[in-house]
Amino acid sequence: MAQKMSPAMRRYLLRFTPAMLAYVAVLPCSILLYQHFKPSGLALWAVAVAPALPIVAVIAIMGVYLAEETDEFQRNMSVQALLWAMGITLAGATVWGFLENFGVVGHPPTYLAFPVFCGAFGLAQPLVRWRYK
Amino acid sequence: MKNRLKVLRAERDWSQADLADRLEVSRQTINALETGKYDPSLPLAFKIARLFGQPIESIFQDEA
Repeated sequence: MAQKMSPAMRRYLLRFTPAMLAYVAVLPCSILLYQHFKPSGLALWAVAVAPALPIVAVIAIMGVYLAEETDEFQRNMSVQALLWAMGITLAGATVWGFLENFGVVGHPPTYLAFPVFCGAFGLAQPLVRWRYK
Repeated sequence: MKNRLKVLRAERDWSQADLADRLEVSRQTINALETGKYDPSLPLAFKIARLFGQPIESIFQDEA
């Protein structure tokens, strides 16, 4: 049976989707502006930071969901999955950082932190839910 | 923590979904409560008690 979505989850998706679409739209624009106009100074800062802003918005949207979710059990499971994701991301970054220090691995772009966090969150969610089955 | 949610629900012939609607939570939340895998907060426990017209301690039993 299909599970009814909570109003907070519906609002989360309504906010998350345009934020991700904005990211998909802004990223190529930033790259094109950089390649064609070779901006410098403040303009370069603006062009460079632009793709990060929708991602920052997504992080805030996740926080707003937790604040708005009135089903305490659902919120509890989301918090647990987010904590797992946070632990995995921080542990992974720490291990990677020391491996990098000793020249064992290369330096990945730091903007990968959020996709890694989301991947870990995606894996943690069904595992957390399974514990309550 | 043990509770009598399943019995109280059965007495009224409500499904888990019916109880979920009345408490404004998801069906999974009712399932986790009934199986004792999740203990409700005080506000939700009071809401449950009000719905069944019984004091909290007659619905939830501390196993300690």
